[in-house]
Amino acid sequence: MRILDRLPRRAARDPDSAALDARRASLGILVAFLAPALLIYAGFTIYPVLRTFYNAFHTIKPQGVVEFVGLANFTALLFADSTFWKAVVNTSMFTIVATIVDVVGGLLLALCLFARAPFAPVLRVVWFTPVLMSYVVVGIIWVWMYDYDWGLANATLRFLGLSAFEQSWLGQPSTALWSVLVAHEWKWLGFNMIVFLAALHALPGEVLGAAELDNCGWLAKLVYIIAPMLRTTIVNLLVLSFIGKMMVFDLVWVMTGGGPLWASETVSTYVYKRAFEWNTFDLGYPSAIAVLWFIIILLFVAIMSRLLRQRDKLEF
Amino acid sequence: MRLGMKQLRRVPLFLFVGFYTVVTGGPLVWVAMMSLRTTAEIFRDPYGFPSPVHWEKFADAWVKSNYGTYFWNSTIVVVAAVALVTAIGAMAAHCLARYTFRGNRLVRFGILTGLVLPPQLVILALFQILLDINLYNTLAGLILVYVATHIAMTVYILEGFFAQIPQDLFDAARMDGYSDFEIFWRVTVPIGAPAIFTTVTLNFIVLWNEFLFAVVLLTDDDRRTLPLGLMHFTGSHQLDVGMAATGLMIAMLPIIVIYAFSSETMIKGMTAGAVR
Repeated sequence: MRILDRLPRRAARDPDSAALDARRASLGILVAFLAPALLIYAGFTIYPVLRTFYNAFHTIKPQGVVEFVGLANFTALLFADSTFWKAVVNTSMFTIVATIVDVVGGLLLALCLFARAPFAPVLRVVWFTPVLMSYVVVGIIWVWMYDYDWGLANATLRFLGLSAFEQSWLGQPSTALWSVLVAHEWKWLGFNMIVFLAALHALPGEVLGAAELDNCGWLAKLVYIIAPMLRTTIVNLLVLSFIGKMMVFDLVWVMTGGGPLWASETVSTYVYKRAFEWNTFDLGYPSAIAVLWFIIILLFVAIMSRLLRQRDKLEF
Repeated sequence: MRLGMKQLRRVPLFLFVGFYTVVTGGPLVWVAMMSLRTTAEIFRDPYGFPSPVHWEKFADAWVKSNYGTYFWNSTIVVVAAVALVTAIGAMAAHCLARYTFRGNRLVRFGILTGLVLPPQLVILALFQILLDINLYNTLAGLILVYVATHIAMTVYILEGFFAQIPQDLFDAARMDGYSDFEIFWRVTVPIGAPAIFTTVTLNFIVLWNEFLFAVVLLTDDDRRTLPLGLMHFTGSHQLDVGMAATGLMIAMLPIIVIYAFSSETMIKGMTAGAVR
């Protein structure tokens, strides 16, 4: 790297070759190319992040009233806020279950198509459609699916003669979070399926063919041959899915608003409520939640990638 | 005979594949049918076919229920934001991929940090900032925020692609006396077109569907984008399921139409960050 850095600099002494070296440009040119992106990025992403960190240590009231409170927001959050802990528990359960369903379900769906199911190319496109729909659209559709009187969930139970299991899926604490999770998976399984399918098609045919010749059962083939070869993809999807689920907001907001009785409250919906719905009028406290949660996510992602990353790369 | 057995063993696979297709496609077809039926008809029989077909509901939704306004707001915001983020993202990516200069890696690292920043970490401060500079509750403010929050992914995808363009092309262009900007415009952009197209698709879908930034940064009804409009309509007209379904279709149709014509591009775009 150091050599690469030096080469152009030496070339610069000769004016002719400097003008011809396509790897070099004057400062003015560099600024012209980078400035628009850097300015807008600095102003509307970096600065807001720093300001959020600043907010977390202050109480921010309307009309520019700012008061330094040190770690008070964090201590209140950790030791005196039962709603926050409820949100943490909900988000964690949601994340664990949804991440596993995402990866396992996506892999199984991909294997179905990889096993040359009829119309596989068409189904691949159809199964991906929900990924393109907005959370608001998905949320509203699933609110209707769960409707007590005419929703599909209860209608199916009635049709099967299982009326005893009819319930207000989103209206009671025991089922609300899991009902949202089903809708969430409905939207995202197709995404994981596509990523796995691409990885499966990139696998060397000879290895799978050899397993076929050895009369290897499909489950053994999956566990001992396919899964290890897909390790990188699996880890990537686990991390991606984990981050997405830890931040889950839109679908919960549309379907339950965090209710009933905080049964489906997530950290993100709680941040929103504390900032814009409660009459506390303080942006500092919700900022502290956002900062704390971000650090926790980073920590887990670091741990996950360290534990799961392939130590020695498989050669194939 | 063996072939028959083999096919028989595949029956569970066929059944499952059929079942999952109904699960993904069914709800969308259901909404499409409801969008052409009146609420009274839906409550009489939620799963019936539209007869007669009420095409006029789309005109009603567009004019009377304000979906026309929501649609144009979404269009303005998304088109402007995608155009901007593509232009400045491509310039930055070209610069990072092409030129050796001091701080190259620092700039790249800074921009790519944006890939891991969750919206929740910036949203509250953005609310304050837009209030400070009088862009709160304006489409312009939302456009700026969309551009800023999607630069990272755009640069990430484009830089990866641009870096693979053979250096010889640029050396040759320089020999021929192309200026730096001409090199960008006449070499990188045409050759990088597939990657640029991928980011356009990705950003278009993500922004068309975006909800969190919009719900925090817009309040006026005539400035609402489609997701906000849908949310507002179902909130205030909870029982008018028929009209809400028409609204859902208005929001979904552009995506579905584009998907029907270029499904591979869209699939590639949406998974660009995950497939390597």
